[in-house]
Amino acid sequence: MKRLFKLLLLLVVAFGISLPQAKAISQKDYIIIGTTDKVSSLDPAKAYDYLSDNILQNLMEGLVKYVPGTAKIVPGLAQKWEVSKDGLTYTFWLKKNLKFSNGDPINAEAFKFSIERVIKLKGEPSFLLSDIVKDVEVVNDREFKIHLKYAFAPFINILAFPVSFPVDPKVYKDNAFYNGLPVSSGPYMVKKWVRGQQIELVRNPNYHGEKAKTPIVLIKLYRNANALYIALLNKEVDIAYRTLLPQQFNQIKKNKNFKTMIGPSPFIREVVFNVKQKPFDNKKIRKAFAYAINRAQIINDVFNGQVSPLYTLIPEGMWGHKPVMPHYNQKKAIEILKSLGYSKTNPLKITLWYSPSHYGSTEAAVALTIKNQLEATGLVKCQLKSAEWATYIDYWTKGVMGMFLLGWYPDYFDPDDYMWPFLATSASPQMGCFYSNKKVDELLLKARKLTDVKERAKVYEQVQQIMAQDAPYIPLFQGKQRVVLKPNIEGVLLDPLQIFRYYLIRKK
Amino acid sequence: MKSYVLTRIGLSIPMVLIILTIVFFVLRVLPGNPVLAMLGPKAPPEVVKEMEHKMGLDKPILVQYVNYLKNIAQGKFGESTVTGMPVIKELMQKFPATLELTIFAMIVAVLIGIFYGTYAAYNLGKPIDVSARIYSIFVYSFPVFWFGLMLQLVFGVWLHWLPVSGEASPFMTPDKTYTGMYVVDAIINGQWDVLKDSLNHLILPSITLGVVISSIFVRMVRANVVLTLSQQFVVAARARGVKEKTVLFKHALKNALPPILTIMGLQFALLLGGAVLTEVTFSWPGIGSYLVSRIHARDFPAIQGTIVFFAIFVAIISILVDVINAWINPRVRY
Repeated sequence: MKRLFKLLLLLVVAFGISLPQAKAISQKDYIIIGTTDKVSSLDPAKAYDYLSDNILQNLMEGLVKYVPGTAKIVPGLAQKWEVSKDGLTYTFWLKKNLKFSNGDPINAEAFKFSIERVIKLKGEPSFLLSDIVKDVEVVNDREFKIHLKYAFAPFINILAFPVSFPVDPKVYKDNAFYNGLPVSSGPYMVKKWVRGQQIELVRNPNYHGEKAKTPIVLIKLYRNANALYIALLNKEVDIAYRTLLPQQFNQIKKNKNFKTMIGPSPFIREVVFNVKQKPFDNKKIRKAFAYAINRAQIINDVFNGQVSPLYTLIPEGMWGHKPVMPHYNQKKAIEILKSLGYSKTNPLKITLWYSPSHYGSTEAAVALTIKNQLEATGLVKCQLKSAEWATYIDYWTKGVMGMFLLGWYPDYFDPDDYMWPFLATSASPQMGCFYSNKKVDELLLKARKLTDVKERAKVYEQVQQIMAQDAPYIPLFQGKQRVVLKPNIEGVLLDPLQIFRYYLIRKK
Repeated sequence: MKSYVLTRIGLSIPMVLIILTIVFFVLRVLPGNPVLAMLGPKAPPEVVKEMEHKMGLDKPILVQYVNYLKNIAQGKFGESTVTGMPVIKELMQKFPATLELTIFAMIVAVLIGIFYGTYAAYNLGKPIDVSARIYSIFVYSFPVFWFGLMLQLVFGVWLHWLPVSGEASPFMTPDKTYTGMYVVDAIINGQWDVLKDSLNHLILPSITLGVVISSIFVRMVRANVVLTLSQQFVVAARARGVKEKTVLFKHALKNALPPILTIMGLQFALLLGGAVLTEVTFSWPGIGSYLVSRIHARDFPAIQGTIVFFAIFVAIISILVDVINAWINPRVRY
């Protein structure tokens, strides 16, 4: 026994000598951001969820970019650009000596390769380019032209979205999605990626712009709001961004150890009607429901006032926004329903669908509140049904659900992205709505081709008026960005596009 | 012995095959198109069809089933529809974390089970025995996530003693990975700070999981020791004047152990799958939470792969337990 003890002691001493130096990373050198979002892919041709795209916004840069905190477009990797008079050709000139994080050149060929690759791979965001881009023509190393199928005013905004960001042709294949560590063109690059757990970003030494304020950013992924909340209270993260429950956020607001910030968000939520399915094929019923829904109650009871009411599909703060939908008026709702022959003994029987986890744990409460509001008319019997997200998508694309809850986060910051996908005949089936209106189609196409913002705004106003009459959707509310930080964190910017810019954040 | 082992292996094959078949057909019966879940609702119908063709989902279900079995027989688990990575590679990345958590939870459960169970049996009918029985029932009915949350609140948030999520602090991962289990890798690398950190991270999740399953062990050990304590050889030992401690641990417990070990072995295999809630509560990057997230995404290859992996693992462990048991106690072989 004594021998064994001596041997153990010797081993401990031996290992003790080989004890490595303490890690020389100071607290100031890194920031830990906690989130409950998921990262599906960091390939611009495939990424199409919030966190994947947001990380790409910090890893990569496109031809153009938004001025932080605004929706103003400025040159990114492009030095300048020109649009032909017919709006069909965009010519770009790249800045000099641009390099990817691995040292490979960022040139016109890289852009041609990247755009064509997105279209060829047909990933989830590819429609943003494939619907509009005809081809890409390389003039020389720093100059190239993008030819469009038709004039499309918001095209420049699409170029600021990750789907248009350049990838290294020497590393990425044009016939397969890329699963390795991304090659960067932006302020940060990925050093380590433990899938489902954390992503470590470090400064990109070859970035042409201003260097990131903090050398290392660690993004930690938590399974749910409770896990993130506890980790925050335990001071394991410096910043909690997306998403704590409203009640947790309210609790933290009272805690002196943290700062909180609330900012605008272009995220919207709405009720969708399948206008081909009975009884929702009757626009009077849809209109009656629009009167019966009390947004203020949903906002206060479910979200503790942390979202704002929305009366059109275009969010508040964006040009073209016109709050046209009817406000809460139970009497009018009852009037319409009674005129259709419904009574207390012969109520309208409907089903409202929701997805229990995709929009956070508040979703069931939203559905229940709407059910209660509809039933408060005394003329509706509403049954609630839920389905997990994968099933939910399947159901709405197949037209199974007649009335359901959905949300929308924009791909590019333009009213077109809040109108076309919802109301255009070609796009609305993908939303589960199946709405079709010739006049609306004409107006939407007209708005795409116009370049003058004022004229476009007028057209969108007309579309919104028709939308309010037909009520294929009931916009409910607009989200808000909520972030919790340790007091020593600076530089967090909650911009209207909801790009969370890690490269501006630093510790005091 | 050889024929016994062969029979056990032979019996396990249909068991695994039944599980594979059930998983395959249940996934196909459930609503939710994996291609739509992967490409999103905006994908044009022709792209959806193309992808279904690429994944073989447009073939008759029996053809898909035969292909599925063929691939598994060749060790091919397919590629995840979410990440595009080989499922086996993803499983191998996640499995060590689950194994590590399970081993530590097992240690907690066994220690509580043996000591509490043995003392309860020794003090049959006394308050400690009553407390053990109450403990078993009480702990067995604990919701794992609730218990985990309470531990997180007390030891993490209020006392700030222990971390509450993940398997390591930032920049505290082993420099070189050999097994994927941070504790083992840290020891091999001689990184004592990393070892301390990973042990700290293991404490709360393994106590959560360990305490919850300890209830079964406490009851089992108690019952078996009560039985052995009443046997002639214990009476004889006491009559010879052997110390009570020796009687209890060397005579009674030792003889009560073989059936307990069998159950413990099987419990260990089942625990690997049952760690899901603990993994979710503690953001532990293991196979359980991997499976849950992939079920949400209808990632057929990943779900099938994980369950096949589990089925084979549980089958191997149960064969090993049976063989060891048969080796210790030849009477079980008939």
